[in-house]
Amino acid sequence: MSALAGTRPAARRPAIGRLRPRFRRRELGLLALVALALLAGSLSLGWERAGRPELAGGGLLAIYLGTLALVHLGQVLAGRRTDQVLLPVVGLLGGIGLLMMIRLPQDLVQQSFGGASLGLAQAQLIWLVLALVVAGSLAIVVRNDTWLRLYKYTWAAAGIALLLATFVLGRNTNGATLDIRLGPVSGQPSELLKVILVIFLAAYLSENRPLLAERSWLVGPFRLPPLPYLIPMIAMWAIAILIVVVQRDLGAALLFFAVFLLLLYVATGRGLYVVLGLLAFVAGSYVAYRLFGVVRERFDVWLDPWATAQGSGYQVVQALYAFGRGGLLGTGLGAGLPSVGGQIPLPEVHTDMVFAALGEELGLVGILGVLGLYLVILERGLRIAASAADDFRALLATGLTLVVAVQALVIAAGNLKLIPLTGITLPFVSYGGSSLLANALVVGLLLALSDRGVEPPPPPRAPGGRLARLADRGAR
Amino acid sequence: MTIGGSSASHRPVGPNVVRVALALVVAFAALAAGAGYWQVFQAAPLSSAPDNPAVVAAARNVVRGRILDRGGRVLASNVPAAGGGAYRAYADASIAPLIGYASSLYGTAGLERAYNAQLTGLQTGDPVADALRKFQATPDDPADLTLSLSLPLQQKAVALLGADRGSVVMLDPSTGEVLAMASTPTYDASAIADPATARAAWAAVQANAGHPLLDRAIQGLYVPGSVFKIVTSLAALGSGAITPSTTYPQQPGAERSGLVISGYRVVDGHHLFTGNTALDFTQAIEVSCNIYFALTGLAVGGAGLAAEAGRLGFGSPLPFDLPTAASQVTSGGGNFGGGFKDPVELANAAYGQAEVLVTPLQMALVAAAVANDGVVMTPHLVTSLTTRAGVRTVNPSPWRDVATPVVANEVKTAMEQAVESQWGHYFTAGAAVPGIPTAGKTGTAQLGGSGEPNSWFIGFAPVDHPAVAIAVVIEGGGSGLRAAALAGELMTYDLKGLGS
Amino acid sequence: MEASLLALWLVRLAFLGLLYLFLLAVVRVLLRDLRSAAREPGSELGRLVVVASPDGEPPSGSVIPLDAVTTIGRDVNNTVVVEDAFASSQHAVLTFRGRAWYVEDRGSTNGTYVNGSLVDDVEPLGFGDEIQVGRVRLRLERPRA
Repeated sequence: MSALAGTRPAARRPAIGRLRPRFRRRELGLLALVALALLAGSLSLGWERAGRPELAGGGLLAIYLGTLALVHLGQVLAGRRTDQVLLPVVGLLGGIGLLMMIRLPQDLVQQSFGGASLGLAQAQLIWLVLALVVAGSLAIVVRNDTWLRLYKYTWAAAGIALLLATFVLGRNTNGATLDIRLGPVSGQPSELLKVILVIFLAAYLSENRPLLAERSWLVGPFRLPPLPYLIPMIAMWAIAILIVVVQRDLGAALLFFAVFLLLLYVATGRGLYVVLGLLAFVAGSYVAYRLFGVVRERFDVWLDPWATAQGSGYQVVQALYAFGRGGLLGTGLGAGLPSVGGQIPLPEVHTDMVFAALGEELGLVGILGVLGLYLVILERGLRIAASAADDFRALLATGLTLVVAVQALVIAAGNLKLIPLTGITLPFVSYGGSSLLANALVVGLLLALSDRGVEPPPPPRAPGGRLARLADRGAR
Repeated sequence: MTIGGSSASHRPVGPNVVRVALALVVAFAALAAGAGYWQVFQAAPLSSAPDNPAVVAAARNVVRGRILDRGGRVLASNVPAAGGGAYRAYADASIAPLIGYASSLYGTAGLERAYNAQLTGLQTGDPVADALRKFQATPDDPADLTLSLSLPLQQKAVALLGADRGSVVMLDPSTGEVLAMASTPTYDASAIADPATARAAWAAVQANAGHPLLDRAIQGLYVPGSVFKIVTSLAALGSGAITPSTTYPQQPGAERSGLVISGYRVVDGHHLFTGNTALDFTQAIEVSCNIYFALTGLAVGGAGLAAEAGRLGFGSPLPFDLPTAASQVTSGGGNFGGGFKDPVELANAAYGQAEVLVTPLQMALVAAAVANDGVVMTPHLVTSLTTRAGVRTVNPSPWRDVATPVVANEVKTAMEQAVESQWGHYFTAGAAVPGIPTAGKTGTAQLGGSGEPNSWFIGFAPVDHPAVAIAVVIEGGGSGLRAAALAGELMTYDLKGLGS
Repeated sequence: MEASLLALWLVRLAFLGLLYLFLLAVVRVLLRDLRSAAREPGSELGRLVVVASPDGEPPSGSVIPLDAVTTIGRDVNNTVVVEDAFASSQHAVLTFRGRAWYVEDRGSTNGTYVNGSLVDDVEPLGFGDEIQVGRVRLRLERPRA
């Protein structure tokens, strides 16, 4: 067998130089449907606006669909056996977001890229293209996860550094410190932080899983979890609280906390952690309610937004009005969101409240479809997790999926007044570069993790050594 | 790859992932349910809310539908404004607290607010038509509202109330149609709607200590006094606690010395002309004997009284075109039954004191219940909506069955005696409609402290086939005589056909 | 109802319809994946039932779930270790490829038999076929559903 040893690595190593395309028929078919749906949406918007059939934002949409096609081509050429559903689903969500940005007043955002001043839709398109390229590249390039799992404390440090940077360089918007600005580039670090935290948690939990799952501290009659091993986790919880305290970013805190708890449960299978976490959450919420005006205001608005319909409850009330106006089928793209005094009376309609805007213009039918898309992401991500080769990959895939699914849940439920409204984006749909790029990292990593490896070779024509070689590998 | 079992500490994460997935699916299902709640079940109220931007935008562009009374007289119309558009003008001040106003500066109030969506054409009230509306090129179809109100009757009621603060509610007991709904003082709604005079008129209304914007008929809460005895009667006769022939031997004596309940003394003026006779039910209504009804209330029990009042509409807002305040028999919280604290509260509540608070509309419904053989018809003001698409009529519908015809008839007889008999005449002089048998009950509501009591009357006529039920309250009007006389004049006006 | 408005609504509904058509297509893919998951490497592809084993290792009657590549022999590094004097250390290998099982003799001293006939290089296997390695007889069976 030693004679074969020299040839094996060459056969195993994916050929970067030597292209081995694998056609992705399902992905192509789904992407075609995405293109068709987006064109119908654009036609609907253009028709409503112009009063005659025409495409709205046709050029922007063409660039977007072209990028999707190129990313697909890249996956085909790379020849990995990765998931074929995620890209079209994310592509459709991003496309619906792009349509919404084309529909909304362009002056909601004025971004300047190299001297050129861009409106809402143009800026969003640039971020979307960047995001798709990032996701597509990660899906091709990431073939090894050691750099993720080995440097977990480096990741944690990077996350904390990012957080500190927000405190130092932070810019205050709407009472919350969310943005950092370095020269011309500004971004919301909490978006990147969520990806980093998931990597850290996955690495830490996969390493300490047996301890956390099996060991117990016996205190009298109570079986408590092994507290020392939980310290890094509790530190995470503290970070979440810190974000609330210092940044007033309730949405991110809620997201981190939920993902952290769910991931802890997946790793250990112990319901006790969830119960303890929920108790800590309730206690923390109560303390925050007593201490921080922001929290109290959000909570009171949630209980009765109409009491302050012209003040702090305005946003929530207007969101509900938007849902009400939409009804079952919606008003149609471009036909809803009546403007008062030349402005759309729904603050943050392009970021936090985009779900309400979708609810009005696409109706219940439309937003149920959008929720369905997130459920598909959930299914794909967790399936990737369930069939992962080891704990780290399983937990990483779970965490990444949860970040997207829980974030969608938190903001959609906030829009619908099911939970207090917290400022956070609707993944892939809301305007915002940080959000799109961070979620692109999630999708790229999920795609890479979904690689099912090299296809088994066809049965040999010429009997001989090939099976024996396989057997040899299997035996080691 | 091994035949041997895997280590126990390395259980696969698969099952946990599945559980988390299920939890999230449930969360998404809740989200879908929430979206369905707002977008289907709450869609109509949300899209017609007065501060909904769509409604506000429509109000700017649309000429509102007119509001007409039952005879086709125009109550609210539109005046072309100088710079395009239009503003509202109203028939007169008598309808102001009821109809409200629609102003570009101060929004909407009253019926203009409640029916804003229909008046601006955002909604027709017909679910099918509303669903199809979005498929139409010009979806706005403002509706003209036709009311059951009679403008002359309304004007007469306001004129009779004069400078007093108070309210009159008149309705047709067999249909629930509101014929008049007056509240004084009134205000000049046209001046608020006219942009030229709006600010001054608004300031004047705000400065008025009589709170003219408050529609006393549906939002005013008053101590009812003796008119509440009709509720106690319905509860007592309906539950069998008393019969029309029930007497209380201790009653005549208690009129002199007071009725002692748990150390508290219920006192009543002595009815000179009844002597030492123990009164039966009809006589007790005629002379409005507090002792009799205190004892009857105790016989019924707190739970029974509260239950009957609840059937009549106490405890929650009434089903009506406009938002109403909820009447109450007790402030609640007690554990003596029905929320009463103790027998003293119950005994006092039984003749309309203690914590009993009512709206005039509620008491009109009580009178209408007796008049209509125990069936309360849903009170309503708007009888039809006329749009391009057609006319939609609001048909009378029964709301509650609160008493058997037998019980209703027993109370009816007593109320007739209260107006028409010799004894009753001392109390309800003037309520009788000349030539027509009339039934009624006065009330003199003590408010505690000094000041004149509120004057109450509820009743209906003609007794055999009631065409009108009425509730009158005059703040600080003194004894019930004042309200009774006013009611008699209004019912006469209506039944002589002057009001239609 | 105006014709152009009707057409616009058809486009709007087509957009929503396509959204759901997409979801339907995705669900079809998901269901197909779910069904083929059972056939993928990592989950069970087939099982070996030990029919006869004179020396007791593997024990007679035991059931061995199979991976895509299963080696049989006396060496401890084999997936299925047979302690039989007549078996070679690297005796045979079973492989699952696409949809079928194959067996290959790895140059054993006494040869590998399928249903009593000697295996010459590679032979396809069917469920129910009996493989003999030394004196140990194994039957290939369908995976559990």
